[in-house]
Amino acid sequence: MGLGIMGQPMALNLLKGGHTLRVYGRRAESMLPLEHAGATACASAAEATRGCEAIFTMVADTPDVEQVIFGPSGVAEGAARGSVVVDMSTISPVATRSMAARLAGRGIEMLDAPVSGGEVGAVNGTLSIMVGGKPEVFDQAKPLFECMGKNIVLIGANGAGQVAKACNQIVGAVALESVAEGLTLARKNGVDPGKVRDALLGGFAWSRVLEIHGRRIVERDFKPGFKAKLHQKDLRIVTETAAQLGIGLPQSALIAQHLNALVGMGCGEEDSAAVAKVLEILSGLKL
Amino acid sequence: MKIGFVGLGAMGRPMAQNLIRGGHELCVWARRAQATKPLTDAGAQASPTPALLAAQCQVVFTMVTKGEDVEQVVLGSDGIIYGAKAGTVVIDCSTIAPATTRRVAQVLAEKGVEMLDAPVSGGEQGAIEGTLSIMVGGKAEVFERVQPVLRCVGRTLVHIGESGAGQVAKAANQLALIVAIQGIAEAMVFARANGVEFRPVWEALTKGFAGSRMLEVVGQRMIERQFVMGIDANLHLKDSLIVLQCAHESRTAVPGAALAAQAFNALFARPGTRWDSAAILKVVEEMSGFPGRGS
Repeated sequence: MGLGIMGQPMALNLLKGGHTLRVYGRRAESMLPLEHAGATACASAAEATRGCEAIFTMVADTPDVEQVIFGPSGVAEGAARGSVVVDMSTISPVATRSMAARLAGRGIEMLDAPVSGGEVGAVNGTLSIMVGGKPEVFDQAKPLFECMGKNIVLIGANGAGQVAKACNQIVGAVALESVAEGLTLARKNGVDPGKVRDALLGGFAWSRVLEIHGRRIVERDFKPGFKAKLHQKDLRIVTETAAQLGIGLPQSALIAQHLNALVGMGCGEEDSAAVAKVLEILSGLKL
Repeated sequence: MKIGFVGLGAMGRPMAQNLIRGGHELCVWARRAQATKPLTDAGAQASPTPALLAAQCQVVFTMVTKGEDVEQVVLGSDGIIYGAKAGTVVIDCSTIAPATTRRVAQVLAEKGVEMLDAPVSGGEQGAIEGTLSIMVGGKAEVFERVQPVLRCVGRTLVHIGESGAGQVAKAANQLALIVAIQGIAEAMVFARANGVEFRPVWEALTKGFAGSRMLEVVGQRMIERQFVMGIDANLHLKDSLIVLQCAHESRTAVPGAALAAQAFNALFARPGTRWDSAAILKVVEEMSGFPGRGS
């Protein structure tokens, strides 16, 4: 279920792995490439689920997962006892635990398995997959994960995969903000940010984010990538989880505000590295 | 006029009492049946469900904690919507997300039932004294119609705009408050870390340009280290979530509020639950090694 930028190539990789695939996407045209590759297109999530041992969901946000699983004609209506629902969306860990408990009540297993690695990783089958759930269910699903990803880690019980993904988003977002601030300081001082980046890459400040997002900022290349509006959503999950669990996360809270501003500027479809624009405006630089 | 009142907590109870004092016939409902006792003693009639209450009232107040609670008492089973006639006015005084308010108002409108969002400011004291500030969203003519009723519970009544506008105003109010609380706590720790007692600083500040109601009330509680409930920090935490959710949806950067909300989060990681918002001081102190910090 869910054949967007990520779901489509992941589903294709399952087909390539020799599995029989039934698919459902809200937009019927999203199912076409899968149908051409041999999958069966279905009229609802419940129908796509019937007779399947494993059911993958890859949608945008917590309410979308709740809808596709528990909504009318949802996965829960079609799934057989003993089947496994694997949610690869990035959503709230708290909501994930409650959905896993509801499914367990119907004799259905659930794994949360959010991914990192973006569209490129999904196409190449090289995603990092962070999994929460029972070890024996994980072992059962592992060959399927191996069709889609490389670095596959069982983090802990239900929800633990989403916690790991939230940690990933915190570290990534704070790194992005720091790169954007550093390069803004350079620009504001009339220093070539490209040269600063080159110098920093050789030293202690090296990071993947400085390499990839730093280049985007220097070259003003904000074609996504990872869309700002999705990054905004992921940080909302982080800040809401922090409030639910009583955790102070000042950096994440600030960056979430900068992403709000970026999306508010009309840049939601750009790569989230465009957050540099918010800092540039803050310091009176021309975009 | 026959008026219904749903939700009789620390705020709802005195507000309902002021409506009786204003000469209105009152019908009440609360989740905990014993909460209706002080009102029935004062002459109100208790109703078994919000629906039955709404069936006999022209105006129905709701004063509950969360958005889900409003949805429950208005749209849930035996909710107000199942009793209210066309033309009835629902006045929701709870503090909830503007988006939730708009959704509930729309469902009611389909049945010809009017709704105003009318969150209040002024706390328990203001509710008892009938001096609340009330920020109203909804149709202007509906506001005009119920203004005499609102006068029984509040002194400052402002029609802010259409449905949800009252909640937006209240969220802005809470945003300003939580940032102010953080500022006061920081000023206090800053003074102490620099070897200056806060009480004389506070006395000087309250008279000057930094003077505010918050500085007077919360500042004093911080100085006296009264950290148990007065202003329930839980409610500020809940309101900070409304602010951040609203900022997310409206794509607005609210960096000060976002940071202050983290201190509230952190407060609830500490043992004890019934914190006053002045206890934010503890979070700010501990960051800099107080109490027990060496010179």
